[in-house]
Amino acid sequence: MKQDPKAELRVISRTEPPASKLNDSIVVLTAGGAVLCALVFAVALPLGGPLPLYGGALSLGLLLFGVAIRRYFTDRFPDIEAIELREIPDPDHADEPLSDVEALGPRRSFLKRALIASGALFGIGIAAPPIASLGPAPGGTLLRTAWRPGVRLVTNEGLPVQPDDLAMGGIASIWPQDAIGQERSSVLLLRLTTPPVAPTNLDWVVDNVVAYSKVCTHAGCPVALYREQDNALFCPCHQSTFDPSRGAVPTFGPAARALPQLPLGLDDQGYLVALDDFQAQVGPAFD
Amino acid sequence: MTPLFSLLFDTLDARLKLRGPSRKVANKVFPHNWSFLLGEVALFSLVVLVATGIFLTMFYRPSTEATVYNGSYELYQGAQLPAAFESILRLSHDVPGGLLFRRIHRGASHLFIAASVLHMLRILLTGAFRRPREVNYHLGIGLITFAFVAGFTGYSLPYDSLAGTGIRIAYSELLSLPLIGDRVAFWIFGGDFPTGDVIPRFFVFHVLVVPGLIIAMVSLHLALVARQRHTQFPVRGVDGHKFILGKPLWPAQFAESATLVLWMAGLLTAAAVFIPWSDVALLGPYVPGEVGNNAQPDWFMFWIDGALRIFPPLEFSVFGLLTVSGPFVAGILLPGFVFTALAAYPFAERRRYGLRGDWHVLTNPLEIPLRAGFMLGIWSFVLLLSAAATSDILSRLTGVSIENVLWFFRITCVLLPPLLGLAINRYAKRRLARHSRTVARSEQEAQVAAASTEVAAGSKPKQPAQAPGSAP
Ligand code: HEM
Ligand code: FES
Repeated sequence: MKQDPKAELRVISRTEPPASKLNDSIVVLTAGGAVLCALVFAVALPLGGPLPLYGGALSLGLLLFGVAIRRYFTDRFPDIEAIELREIPDPDHADEPLSDVEALGPRRSFLKRALIASGALFGIGIAAPPIASLGPAPGGTLLRTAWRPGVRLVTNEGLPVQPDDLAMGGIASIWPQDAIGQERSSVLLLRLTTPPVAPTNLDWVVDNVVAYSKVCTHAGCPVALYREQDNALFCPCHQSTFDPSRGAVPTFGPAARALPQLPLGLDDQGYLVALDDFQAQVGPAFD
Repeated sequence: MTPLFSLLFDTLDARLKLRGPSRKVANKVFPHNWSFLLGEVALFSLVVLVATGIFLTMFYRPSTEATVYNGSYELYQGAQLPAAFESILRLSHDVPGGLLFRRIHRGASHLFIAASVLHMLRILLTGAFRRPREVNYHLGIGLITFAFVAGFTGYSLPYDSLAGTGIRIAYSELLSLPLIGDRVAFWIFGGDFPTGDVIPRFFVFHVLVVPGLIIAMVSLHLALVARQRHTQFPVRGVDGHKFILGKPLWPAQFAESATLVLWMAGLLTAAAVFIPWSDVALLGPYVPGEVGNNAQPDWFMFWIDGALRIFPPLEFSVFGLLTVSGPFVAGILLPGFVFTALAAYPFAERRRYGLRGDWHVLTNPLEIPLRAGFMLGIWSFVLLLSAAATSDILSRLTGVSIENVLWFFRITCVLLPPLLGLAINRYAKRRLARHSRTVARSEQEAQVAAASTEVAAGSKPKQPAQAPGSAP
């Protein structure tokens, strides 16, 4: 068989490392050590040995086997430096056709365009419906929460809350009674030490107790932290800060809107209830 | 060759005619430089990721349904947990070797992305992106994008408290798309977050779609490197435009790669023994309405997180039709701008200097003022943004108020990158002028210039120009 002359190695320099007994021993020892490590791994792992034992054995085995391979190659082969011709594009072929079968004449260029255009439309037509099936239409989902007139505020455990359940300066994480765990409806309940002022809606404050949406208006994290020293609600994600005694307006950080205030009232048994859904957009901006 | 191997080879060769191609491959010459190993490190971490990932997939349950944990980890015994989190606990504490393989998988994912980023830096700094390798460069940009997606979806799968926060923010980012945000977010999440579809979908992306795309793209990437041949650093006395100098695949490059893959796997395993990363048991499961105090994404998302933190409050509506918000500008437009700038840079350089022809010899970025300025500008920007993602930690460590830390980053992120970029651009221009040189327009021109500087410096070529094999 005739070999492709281009495939031949053009050697520039060639050095032959001297054979070394020491090197041979290193190969044997490291390869043997790797096998030993594999053995430890194979015994220790299924028997429920400690992770550092079988992990360490696996690690050491891989490292040793790496050394064995490296060493095996060091004096077994000559060290070759070679040069290879870069393939320079052949200008002779520059305007050869891609295939030798050509279309009949230049007629029907309209047909070609019609075919391409309908191909694209056909593609979109069959790809779009499955994508649309992937999720429900948003409709008003993002405009509403589970709060309705008369829905009780409950804790994580589902217990209703009275204003006095909160200590002065206290804070609680609250859900609508029938939608515990539905993030969009989560609420922070605070009992402020001083009466809130505008823009807080004072009609929705009961005994210094206010409720704000817990969903950050920046990117939707729960505004989970309350810094008592400066009476600020704090979002741990990007450090937006809100002032709960002034309608939870943002005072620092990237959030641009106040946390919406929940219209708050009492039912006839003295439990806190919502008077209505939030009157402002909850959570981050959308479309 | 051992008799068994040669028998096997001869059997196949008789049918497939392998001798010619295999010789061609074995004789392929690889230029030698440590920075060329970065791509290989990325490649081998991908191998480790796939191997460990298959093992993890045997146990992971892609569901958020409440499940009772009955395993050996005491803290959670009898607790109701999301199935995904529960299966990760079982995998970690009740499957022999599970925790080790999970940690190796995480470690390899960090290494994969880090090595890809450094590999991209070397491509950009040395000019390996120039014609004819623009296609491969853009394929690389696609690869790094998918590497990020793989990293993010993987980070989400355990459904721990950090994962929950990451998913929430990703959801809000999708919502923030003007006009179509709510639809796109609902398509991807199957409704308003949290839905039962998120985790199953992220799972399909993480174990099937994204790795499939990455493997296909890496194969094409490597095929293009083989087809177009590797670039190389200038070697005195060798016309790098026509020839590659290096060591053949067999045995030198093979030995090196085999050692590299074993050492990498060994070091990743050692790291997994010593570093308890990915121990999500301590983070706790995702709980609706709750978030931990240290809400930090993985390091490769820091720059986006930092941008979200320092971007000033912004939200306005355009004719009541669409809304433009901070999360959109900082979390989507800005990264989009960085990626577009990276994708467009090869064309910018070619236009700016009127470059002609193909380029195979790598250059020092200081020889190309535009490149020096662009690189320092854009990467200092990305690094400063990443640093801004640690604003809360910095504030706690230094005692400076969080407000002042954020203002520091707001100012430096806007001012420093352009200043640094301009400064190094000026320096590079002066450096060229000092040697009365200009940016070469073609590789031949560059080589003539390099040869004349060598003569001017009075240095003799170390290796006399070997007429290598009197090549055609
Ligand atoms: C994500 C995984 C990636 C893998 C596994 C990968 C792998 C490799 C490998 C093994 C090589 C040959 C060795 C080397 O030059 O380092 C290579 C070359 C190359 N890569 Fe990547 N790469 C990845 C991402 C990227 C990225 C992000 C870019 C740039 C945006 C890129 C652009 C290139 C280019 C232009 C070459 C040719 C370099 C030359 O000939 O000097 N790659 N890649
Ligand atoms: S989500 Fe609250 S500050 Fe970003």
